[in-house]
Amino acid sequence: MTAHVLPPAPPVQRPRVLVVGSAFAAAASFMVFIGLIGVYLAARADVISSGSAWLPKGVAIPLQQPNTMFITLIMTVFTMQWAVSAISKNDRVNAYLALGLTLMLGIATIVMTTYLWHLMKLDVAAGIQGVLIYTITGAHIVMLVLAMLFVALMALRALGGQFTARQHDGITAAAVYWYAMVAVYALIWISIYVTK
Amino acid sequence: MALTDTRPESGTDATAVAPSVVPSPLTIFGSGDHKAVGTFYVLAALVFGSAGWIAAALASAHIIGSGSFLTDTTGTQLLQTSKIGLILLVIVPLFLGIATYIVPLQVGASTVAFPRAAAAAMWTWLLSSGVFIVASFIDGGFGGVRAKSVSLTLFSLGGLIVALLLGTVCVLTTAVTLRTPGMTLDRVPMFTFSMLVGGSIWLLTLPVLLANLLLIWVDHRYGGGTVFGAASSQFGQVSWIAHEPQIYAFLIPGLGIVADVVATLTGARLGQRNLLLVAIGAFGVLSVGAWAQPVMYPAFSEDLVWQAMGLLVLLPLLLLLGGVAAAFKDGKPSLKSPLGLAVASILLTILGVLAGALLVISPLELRTTSFFANGQAILILSAALAAGAAGIGYWGPKMTGRQLADGIGKLNVLVMLGGGVLGGAALCVLGFATRFTGLSGAHDTLLVVSVIGSALLALGSLLVILALLSGTRKGAPEAGADAWGTGQTLEWACPSPPPTGNFGDLAVVRSPEPLLDEEA
Repeated sequence: MTAHVLPPAPPVQRPRVLVVGSAFAAAASFMVFIGLIGVYLAARADVISSGSAWLPKGVAIPLQQPNTMFITLIMTVFTMQWAVSAISKNDRVNAYLALGLTLMLGIATIVMTTYLWHLMKLDVAAGIQGVLIYTITGAHIVMLVLAMLFVALMALRALGGQFTARQHDGITAAAVYWYAMVAVYALIWISIYVTK
Repeated sequence: MALTDTRPESGTDATAVAPSVVPSPLTIFGSGDHKAVGTFYVLAALVFGSAGWIAAALASAHIIGSGSFLTDTTGTQLLQTSKIGLILLVIVPLFLGIATYIVPLQVGASTVAFPRAAAAAMWTWLLSSGVFIVASFIDGGFGGVRAKSVSLTLFSLGGLIVALLLGTVCVLTTAVTLRTPGMTLDRVPMFTFSMLVGGSIWLLTLPVLLANLLLIWVDHRYGGGTVFGAASSQFGQVSWIAHEPQIYAFLIPGLGIVADVVATLTGARLGQRNLLLVAIGAFGVLSVGAWAQPVMYPAFSEDLVWQAMGLLVLLPLLLLLGGVAAAFKDGKPSLKSPLGLAVASILLTILGVLAGALLVISPLELRTTSFFANGQAILILSAALAAGAAGIGYWGPKMTGRQLADGIGKLNVLVMLGGGVLGGAALCVLGFATRFTGLSGAHDTLLVVSVIGSALLALGSLLVILALLSGTRKGAPEAGADAWGTGQTLEWACPSPPPTGNFGDLAVVRSPEPLLDEEA
């Protein structure tokens, strides 16, 4: 039963806990979509190899809305980075503006997705295609909403004066999760909307 | 309810006030203290473990003889529920609980990262576990008749996975960001490193299981249940987590526990430590099995990658065994129960991985029936349970502040080893029945042996709880900071049980065994 007494360490420079945690959470979220899209591509390959068309008759997925959403989300990458850059310079006005714009563009993406669902005329019970497409796009909306909540929370903390030029991990962490969400959409755009 | 945690960013200020040994309900509710959260995970997982192994025993008993006491549907659901339950309700939370308690201590942190999230994860896991059990009882197992019960099962499984992932993120973030100065990644204790590897594999694969569940639920609830939600195919889509190679992912933290226990209780530094770290990493890489889904990829078992993974995983295991054997040779083994349980875990792991290597050899035709695969899963899960028991026996004095009753642990060595071997090996032998027709006559006998094995593992889970609680009895000798007297890693430098804030001044680390350096 020995008691150990160790020498004191120098002051700790803590790495960015919230940023690392968000990166892990983003990786886990990303893997959900890897799983979903993997199943989607396997199912699509099976249907096509049997000589049938992937989408049921009467169902068409227009490309205009997915393209618009993709461009919108790419814009949010810039607005998010704008927010990170602004807060790191203690430029609060620009940070609030960038965060607000990001949230607005996020809402626009949700609206556009629901409009696309309406245009597709695809019944969820129509078969494997409906289940897969609605699950993947719906799950992405869930991830987008989570990312928006994260950004909104960090915006409120910024408004409360919690972030400084030296310590703005919250905004950076929200940006990490946001970028992962946009990367997921890029996968969806290619595998569902472009290749159909 | 006030949160009693310390923010990870804040400096540590260990006070003399030690928490109570086993957290009282009042402490647990609303507490973000990693010690209370970890202890509660461990206790709940062991209770579920006991029930889970009984369910596995009943599922095997159901197919003995001609007249069963369960309907075929109930028996099948029980088998499936026990498989999933033993992983998500027992093994993963058991390791996560130990990690939530021990990893901050091993890396010299004052608390776990995101303590409130860790507490929320534990409560979500517990609530989801309760819902999963209730839903399973009301015909909500995979392929169940009651649609709402099945939905409830799927929802609870989703909650379980999200909770376990959240808890894993907290532990991983602690290991990555809250290490004390000087503790580079190659200097972290073996258990912390194995949690880093295992947790990362969980983080990459459990979300895929969540994706499977989402598809099943959407089809079951809204799509008419003709494809993913079809009763006959539901379990097939999630069964990959209980099969090779994914089953190995749930054993990884156990490898680290075994290495830490052996190093301390032999009093020897682990030789070629970096090689052992690489071996644990390789074991992790070879256990990624989310791609080997029988429903999505029916020919996976003919895939060369799957077969190669099953064989190659033997190599890192051999490396680890070499390291452990060298510690036994170089040190003076102390015949304490954690060491015995660690050895039992090693033996079961060897059997399980060897069985896995046989399983991938197609000419042996061991995949014709599910007996061999089920037997292999029992061997691996019992190895993980034995490693968890070794960890609790080893860190129990740290958790309770008093020495545990070693007799209970020594009895448990026999119970766990016997349970794992009887439960798993009997089914593996039965898997050879397609090649050796003489074994067909022993069908019922081998199943009875397997049932006895599973029952022993249920008893073993209870014995671990008893052993831990023995540390709370009045009159038990106090443990002191370094309960074994040969501690090598930082957790043995803080008082037992650790006070709020864990450490006073953060320690400078100059090697993987900072306490040995201090003595030298």
